Amino acid sequence: MKVPLSTSSPQKRMEKGAKAVEELIEKWKVKARSSIKQGEKRKKLKLIWLELTGCSGNIISLLNGIDPELEELLMNHIDLCYNNSLMTAEGEAAMAQLFASAEEEFILAVEGAVAMQDQRYNIIGRYQGKPISAQEAIQYFGQRASSIIAVGTCATYGGISASRPNPSGSVSVAKALQTMRQDIVQLLGCPCHPDWFIGTLAHFMLYGQAPVLDSENRPILFYGITIHDNCERRSFFENRIFAERLGEQTCMIALGCRGPITKTDCPTRQWNSYLNWPVGANTPCIGCAHPTFPDGTAPFVQYAQRARGMEKRGQHNWPSKKK
Amino acid sequence: MAIQKKISPLTRMSGFLELEVQIEGHTIIEAKSSSLLFRGFELMLQGRDPLDAIYFTQRICGICSTAHSVASSLALEEALQVTVTEQGRTLRDLVHSCEFLQNHLRHFYLYTLPDFIKLPQKQCLYENSRDYRFPPKINELLVANYFQAFEISRLAHEMIAIFGGKAPHDHGIFVGGLTVHPTIDKISKFRSLLKKIKSFALEKMLHDVYTLAHYYEDYFQMGQGPGHLLSFGLFADYPEQKPHYVEEAFLPYKGEKKQVDKQKITESLTYAWYEGKVEVPMEGKTIPDLEKEKAYSWSKAPRYQGYPCEVGPLARLIISGQYPNQISMMDRTIARVLEVLQIIIVMEKLLDKVELNRAPQEVYPIPSRSKGIGLTDTTRGTLGHWLTIREAMLSHYQVITPSAWNLSPQDERGKRGPVEEALIGTRIENLDHPVEIGRIVRSFDPCISCATHVYSAKGRKRMTIL
Repeated sequence: MKVPLSTSSPQKRMEKGAKAVEELIEKWKVKARSSIKQGEKRKKLKLIWLELTGCSGNIISLLNGIDPELEELLMNHIDLCYNNSLMTAEGEAAMAQLFASAEEEFILAVEGAVAMQDQRYNIIGRYQGKPISAQEAIQYFGQRASSIIAVGTCATYGGISASRPNPSGSVSVAKALQTMRQDIVQLLGCPCHPDWFIGTLAHFMLYGQAPVLDSENRPILFYGITIHDNCERRSFFENRIFAERLGEQTCMIALGCRGPITKTDCPTRQWNSYLNWPVGANTPCIGCAHPTFPDGTAPFVQYAQRARGMEKRGQHNWPSKKK
Repeated sequence: MAIQKKISPLTRMSGFLELEVQIEGHTIIEAKSSSLLFRGFELMLQGRDPLDAIYFTQRICGICSTAHSVASSLALEEALQVTVTEQGRTLRDLVHSCEFLQNHLRHFYLYTLPDFIKLPQKQCLYENSRDYRFPPKINELLVANYFQAFEISRLAHEMIAIFGGKAPHDHGIFVGGLTVHPTIDKISKFRSLLKKIKSFALEKMLHDVYTLAHYYEDYFQMGQGPGHLLSFGLFADYPEQKPHYVEEAFLPYKGEKKQVDKQKITESLTYAWYEGKVEVPMEGKTIPDLEKEKAYSWSKAPRYQGYPCEVGPLARLIISGQYPNQISMMDRTIARVLEVLQIIIVMEKLLDKVELNRAPQEVYPIPSRSKGIGLTDTTRGTLGHWLTIREAMLSHYQVITPSAWNLSPQDERGKRGPVEEALIGTRIENLDHPVEIGRIVRSFDPCISCATHVYSAKGRKRMTIL
């Protein structure tokens, strides 16, 4: 609403101004009312979070997220219908809630690998008296989910749970589902940074689909470039000033830093309310978000003299290429 | 005729646990606890670089990873003959302390309290069908504190990140202590976060646990267990003002406190899905045997001098003489909250000791042959790492976690584990909603991710493969 200043009488100008204000207020009221109605209609996004063969550290990492915090998401944006660590229901009631929730549209988040060696290696609970294994759970819910987010390195590539000799026969979620799904969003990291998960989930909530992914189904926003590319200690690398022991505040490459092969935004994003990160703690990156973690990125710490010793034994300093 | 009840999964804990009880009339006459996950960490660690144990074993557990970095560092220091400096120990203990704060805050508010309070029904995560006794106003207050605990527990992990890089699975704890240098900016941020947690603990948490105890007084009579207590000691290695908290000790039921002798720790495999009967940790093997008769858990049964021992905050407070020798579900819960304050007191003392100086780190050469044991108390109780080095590689690794002690199955003499024993004799009011079981078991703060790294997974002979 424009109020032409050319109006002659000051009285009239005031009247017109007051009218404009009233109209504006009315407009906002209508808008507010309709958005409240929309909000009522818009269902909260339904999320099922399965913990399988792993350490349940990704849900703990999610608790560490801020802006938005998990509690804010729970109160206003998502319906978390199953999570072993946090739900109030227990036993049969918890499992009933899980299966009932899967009757409607839901997004499935999975942490942990899937133990395949024997069904009995990982039972997530009993449904109607029958034990449900990790493998059965991923088959059942993986088929029904509208989208799947694999959270952490175990869920995405097997990770620690599948490290040699892989006693539990653990495989990634994608492998457990084989050809069933090609659209699993892969959030690597041990654990997954809360922002990587919340950002991905927010994209589903606001835009109805996954964020832009690379050829490995990782969101490019978070996994686009290597740690080495953005490392705060890059200048030490360029000047060949290398730390010889942990605790030194220079380039960690000679200690076996896996920054050059690991793609995450750790150096710029940082962890736990953006406070610090492993290189900031004067230790090398161990490649926990690399597909071959941990076997391909071990040994995690190599002192230069030991590295030389290993070369003599015919072993090399660098991880083998991705399997 | 006894009826059988199975609770699986027992939620609000880390990992997968099944409880099976036999109830006659309204009383539990038999109880079995079974862990439901097997990953086989001991097998994975064989043949790895010894120093990798620190970051590797943290992945045993997502909620108490720092505990494993501490125990593995201690074991490596013994094997590598590294003497940790006072500065190194102080810094490492400070970071380990934050793990206590994080765990106890999350366990009391996010895991324990939902057994007693009605949470907002608009969230699918919360269903309310228990024996609720709080008047609406008190319930409202507790719910508000439940949500505030999300924020406060986050601060404890921020404190770990300051000196450890990130949490869970920190990088800072290492042989020699820590890798991050205590500078004034870091120390003051750490102190500031600690102060916030302290206010919350003093003003809300302490009050809340006694409110809980007031309305659920009957839980002082439930969940006693065998009454033998064990601690490997905590913050006891300082020359002056010894001990800062608790010294290692074994306190048998109605007996005298004795010093811990590592040789008296054994693991019974009679009821566990592993080959063998009884073993000592330095020679323990982890060979799964799903067809073993009578076995009902993948958790081995650790025993001290043959006794099943309760470990954790209550055991520590009783052993250190700071809590009367009374054991129950409610005493365990109160002890966990009191320990938050005890830990904060220790942390303040440690902070005063920290010098604005470098964190000591050296190049640590690996001997071709060696052995090391790392014993410490951590959040949930006694934790031990046993390792052997051959040809500069790990040739053997065994871990006995607190939850393995508390949630162990029966041993070769038929003695039940502490959680099983605590459930026997419990009166169940409503057979359709046996809330008492979950409340008692959660008071032990079970962590199956931990109990299982070695073992655990549940298997029962009659169970058909699905």
